Amino acid sequence: MTQSFSRRELLQRTGMGMGALGLSPFLSSLNAGDRSLNPLAPGKTHFAPKAKRVIHIFANGGPSQVDSFDYKPALEKYHGQEVPGGGLRTERKTGTLMKSPFNFSQHGKSGLWASDLFPKVAELADDLCVINSMYANVPNHEPSLMLMNTGAERVNLVRPSMGSWVTYGLGTENENLPGFVSLCPGGVPIVETQNWRSAFLPGAYQGAHIDTKNSLISKLIPDIRNQRMPMDIQRKQLDLVQEMNRQDIGQSQVDQDVEARMHSLELAYKMQIEATDAFNVDREPKHIRELYGDTLHGRQMLIARRLVERGTRFVQVWHGAGQPWDSHAEIEKFHGKLGAEADQPIAALLVDLKQRGLLEDTLVIWGGEFGRTPTVELPTPGANAANTKLGRDHNHHGFTMWMAGGGTKGGFQYGKTDEFGFKAVENPMHVHDLHATILHLLGFDHEKLTYRYAGRDFRLTDVHGEVFHDLLA
Amino acid sequence: MTVPKASLLPLLLVSISATSAVYCADTNPGFEPAQIEFFEKEIRPVLADNCFKCHSGTKAKVGLELNHRGGWLSGSDYRKVVDLENPAQSVLIKAISHAAEKNIVAMPEKGDKLPDETIARITEWIAMGLPWPENEISEHKDPSEHWSFQPVKKQELPEGAGNPIDYFLNEAREKAGVVAAEKADRETLYRRAHFDLLGLPPKYEELRKFVDDPRPDSDAWSALVDELMASPHYGERWARQWMDVARYSDTIGYEGAGRERRFIYSYAYRNWLIKSFNDDLPYDKFVLYQLAAEQLVDWDSPEKAHLAALGFLSLSKNGKNEIIIDDRIDTTFRGMMALTVSCARCHDHKFDPISTSEYYGVYGVFMNSFKEERPVIGEPKSGPEYDKYLKERAEKQKVIDDFLAPKLAKIEKEKPELMGRREQLIKMLSREDRRELAKKQGVFDKFIADAQMDPDKAIILTDAENIRKQRIFVRGAPGRQGDEAPRRFLTFGKDVEPVAFTKGSGRLELAQQIASPDNPLTARNIVNRVWMWHFGEGIVRTIDDFGIQGELPDNPELLDFLATWFIENGWSIKKLHRLILTSHTWQQQSSNPVQDKNMLVDPENRLLWKYNKRRLDLEQLRDGILEVTGTLSDEMFGRAVKILEPPYSNRRSVYAFIDRQNLNPVFRNFDFSNPQETTAQRPTTTIPMQALFTMNSDFIQNQAANLAKKVAPQEDPIQHYHRAIFATEPTENDRLLADSFFTSVESEMKDYSKRQTNTAWSYGYGTHNDESGKVSFTPYPLWTGKQWQIEKETPIKDNPLSYLYARAGATHPGHTSKESSIYQWQAPSDLKVSIAGAVQRSAVGKGNGVRVKVVTHKGRLLFDQVMDPAKKTFPVTVDPFDVAKNDLIYFIIDPHENNSSFDSVNWSPQVVDASGVNPKWGLAESFSGPATPATPHSAYVHALLNTNRFLFIE
Repeated sequence: MTQSFSRRELLQRTGMGMGALGLSPFLSSLNAGDRSLNPLAPGKTHFAPKAKRVIHIFANGGPSQVDSFDYKPALEKYHGQEVPGGGLRTERKTGTLMKSPFNFSQHGKSGLWASDLFPKVAELADDLCVINSMYANVPNHEPSLMLMNTGAERVNLVRPSMGSWVTYGLGTENENLPGFVSLCPGGVPIVETQNWRSAFLPGAYQGAHIDTKNSLISKLIPDIRNQRMPMDIQRKQLDLVQEMNRQDIGQSQVDQDVEARMHSLELAYKMQIEATDAFNVDREPKHIRELYGDTLHGRQMLIARRLVERGTRFVQVWHGAGQPWDSHAEIEKFHGKLGAEADQPIAALLVDLKQRGLLEDTLVIWGGEFGRTPTVELPTPGANAANTKLGRDHNHHGFTMWMAGGGTKGGFQYGKTDEFGFKAVENPMHVHDLHATILHLLGFDHEKLTYRYAGRDFRLTDVHGEVFHDLLA
Repeated sequence: MTVPKASLLPLLLVSISATSAVYCADTNPGFEPAQIEFFEKEIRPVLADNCFKCHSGTKAKVGLELNHRGGWLSGSDYRKVVDLENPAQSVLIKAISHAAEKNIVAMPEKGDKLPDETIARITEWIAMGLPWPENEISEHKDPSEHWSFQPVKKQELPEGAGNPIDYFLNEAREKAGVVAAEKADRETLYRRAHFDLLGLPPKYEELRKFVDDPRPDSDAWSALVDELMASPHYGERWARQWMDVARYSDTIGYEGAGRERRFIYSYAYRNWLIKSFNDDLPYDKFVLYQLAAEQLVDWDSPEKAHLAALGFLSLSKNGKNEIIIDDRIDTTFRGMMALTVSCARCHDHKFDPISTSEYYGVYGVFMNSFKEERPVIGEPKSGPEYDKYLKERAEKQKVIDDFLAPKLAKIEKEKPELMGRREQLIKMLSREDRRELAKKQGVFDKFIADAQMDPDKAIILTDAENIRKQRIFVRGAPGRQGDEAPRRFLTFGKDVEPVAFTKGSGRLELAQQIASPDNPLTARNIVNRVWMWHFGEGIVRTIDDFGIQGELPDNPELLDFLATWFIENGWSIKKLHRLILTSHTWQQQSSNPVQDKNMLVDPENRLLWKYNKRRLDLEQLRDGILEVTGTLSDEMFGRAVKILEPPYSNRRSVYAFIDRQNLNPVFRNFDFSNPQETTAQRPTTTIPMQALFTMNSDFIQNQAANLAKKVAPQEDPIQHYHRAIFATEPTENDRLLADSFFTSVESEMKDYSKRQTNTAWSYGYGTHNDESGKVSFTPYPLWTGKQWQIEKETPIKDNPLSYLYARAGATHPGHTSKESSIYQWQAPSDLKVSIAGAVQRSAVGKGNGVRVKVVTHKGRLLFDQVMDPAKKTFPVTVDPFDVAKNDLIYFIIDPHENNSSFDSVNWSPQVVDASGVNPKWGLAESFSGPATPATPHSAYVHALLNTNRFLFIE
């Protein structure tokens, strides 16, 4: 048992016993942050946070930086030529440099470069903090997904995901909703539920996966509704349960677990309504629904906003099952399609958060697990024999991510890749550094947000990571 | 920044590579004050300016810490950096002198070369023996003196001490001034023991028998404990506890597409555990078998069943060799010795006296052990079905063989030395061939796993024929080989000759070292774990870490007494249970009249002055529900079953299929162990997700309905439910509450129970009378699992209802207007709604179309149009209108002029709440089969299953 346990039982000693009616006074204090009773109660940060919640838009598969936010005019000039000095090693063989089929232009007062792959997001350039110098360790999906999500790239290492760490650190602002939600339509990404698991952290911090392809609420969250009785009957049923609980407590001493359990029944009852409500985008006025667009991606981005607005701490929005952004072939066609799906919803999210004053303390992160080569992928026998042209391979040497809101600098461009966008060369930022910076924005010293397990204090950034203060507003 | 379990631990916020000088082996040579002054004036400032930034603290480059003397002495992860005998030859001096030698990196890396005179001073300082102020030299004691590395001390008990557990704890309580609680009553103890030993709730009659046992308490109790431990269900409970330690899983973890993830024979290990607990296999043997059974048992005798014990090692996670081996080392040492040996994989353990060399000494054991699915330990099936299976299996095997044979033959020709060595040969295949083989193997493995026809086999480890030597992997990287690490056992930092492993891989010798009565950790570890499983917390609260970072035992004498006693009593777990369950400490009430006073001294109840009330864990909850509703299966052993997906298995949770990679989130919502790694202790959290499951899941409501149905007409139902669920009689109050509940819900539930489905929609047929506006509606009688219809066989000959059906968003009317297809929607409350959607008729241009109507049960015609047969899509929308609670809206497909040819239509109308409060009611999305409405009685039973009276063990 814990110290808080003693404090609570001591309170009782001072005469605040069980009320004859209603729940004990302790129940009302449960919200006050006793994490031994409620692992999702709001946690304390190390210092004042800039961001209170996170929306991580995961363009899984690896979006191409040189076709989106990392403008490389040299690619035009050297199109069809070998990389001077030789290319870098990636997963598969690549050939000559390939110019982007998308057109770049400058946007906003800041004049940030962005392509017409994301025309609407580009309009919001002055809100974006674009990091062109991201890098990871290897050019493969599994380890890179693990690195981005858990800080440990080996698929078989058991490490909690970033969302679990954040929820562990911050709890949730609304106990009637899950603290960490992973929206992914149509199934799961590569490496599956490992992307949002809590590993050795308690299960309370695991991400709740929601397949946003379903529109029926009862299919979105298991057991969210009772199918066999209407809610007013269920209320009567719960009243019966709680009355029996109260009468039984009357005969024994206050016990934190017993009370916590009674409290959680009430929370669950409310969650049925609130979760249903959070996922019901039909409640949005028409102009908002139109802003996001009546598409799968529009809907799930709107759900993301409704969730953070209601206090969910960490929402991850995946583009789709598998690795949709993995355009080994025909970058124009495939990236074009993906961009068309994602652009309006993402832009809408930023606009909408901003107009609600939420962008200030909501950190939005966009990116994949890595980027793509500026060179064209060559066909190889076997796996990608069909990829005859105009695709790009994975590239961990340099890629782009952007953040918005949550205490980051808007209209800001950070770091550089080389002339062709292959490798981060100026202010390179490793994924660990990104994690350290994200935790910093959330009010945590990444070296101190630890959890003791198996004799060690673990942390998201392992023994790495530096906060990049240049990115902070 | 902690949750319960973490907050118990010392809040030393060190990262995993926190490299403060925790201990260093040298003694302080005692420097002259002048030497110290030289250091402070001439050396320290130089170091501070040029070295400390990279070479100190948690991120010291190459593991070299120059901010304390110990760091200078121990050097980098790769080598020593100072040579006290020959200072000028020190690697560090060469580095700062920018010596042009191989493997010398010029330092400082950033910034200018140090002036020559500074380098000379540093050289001089090294020659002095690195003088450093004494108070900065690590002053930690010798870690080999840590309590857990000392031999277990036999504790003497005075005459008449009574139960030794009580003796030790009473002594401690007296010293602290806390008073134990009274003994709990027989009812409470019976239920507690039942859940504790069997994981199941008691049965009313059996509990009464015990309560009414005329013998004195101690005799009756003693007999009961023996009786419970003799139950075969005992093993099902306690095997599961050990499965947490063994990170048991029925899948290997992550695998790429096309590969089979299931272990086909994982259950053999689980079954062995159940049997071993039931047989009270002595714990030393239990350990030996799990680590080296294949070298201990006769493969040709019934003893061979013990081969399955090796699942402890073989059911490890997936990955590269070093991941698998590390997992085996971690599970073995953390699980069996409460030691975090894996911390020494990349560098010497930062706190405990475990060197990398020792880690790789053990690594060599596992590196020379290979996994095999070999020995058949079960009886093969027989009969035509099995023969058919064998034939099919052989065919599938042949596909692989035919693919491989020519390719392997070719390699054999090129490399005759590999002749006949299949594993080696396969490694020589081209990348594409290996990929193809993996695909084919995946198909084969899936077939075997699905068929479940093979006889039980053990997944074992066997020693390599040619034992390879192991070297240290510097910083854990297999590519960087360091010194040789001979296979040997740990020395706990003591100045003794290590026990070398000389036979084969040394795995048996390792097992013998662990299972030895002289091992200071093994017996302490298991008695501490058994203690935790009984009381919720261990005597040492850091269950899997008895090292220097772990907590000290709350009562070291008690721990040592139990460890000694356990060994003296033949390593018998059952005897240990008995000792614990017959103590007053275990038998106390869960409340204590002097609680307030006790709390001041011992708020965490470390002195066990009351029993810790405990919530049922996932297995106790699920098994308990099945048991009290009379549906729990008695069947033992066998293959894994999925327990959280329909059709819900009625087998015990110990048989649950555990998927290491994608565990159903419900498991971890209920604090189930993480099957990725060995689990020391499950957390205890209370979150709404748990309540959602107990309030709403089909599983629990099915069970509630089962019990409600089982009451015979002449029985008192309330009494029946309470006896079944709580093993008690209902109190007067319980009856009052029950009555008022029934009264309050009866009429509403009656209405509700008439519904065809669980949703607002019903499906049927009938007609709308154009004159009266009335609708006659007959719900379909039959659900096929996919659609609603009239009879099993359709079309029905000479019947106008012949073609009627309703499927998710599709339907067909009967022959005439009288047999129109009708969807019915019922309003759940007063609302303003609109209607959206469209009818689609695929047979464009054929037939005469359909007439589509939307009507309320009050006869209000909302929509009535004939769909032109030339059209494919036909919007059916209605502007917002008011409905009252329970109003019905009918969506009608009339075959139009009694011609139903080509009248298959797709139609999924949507009822839209104009206020937006409710999500849309779309027919297709919510399409479902028959309702399973709760009844007042099933709802009452369901309520009882949600009470704390059921969910907690007092």
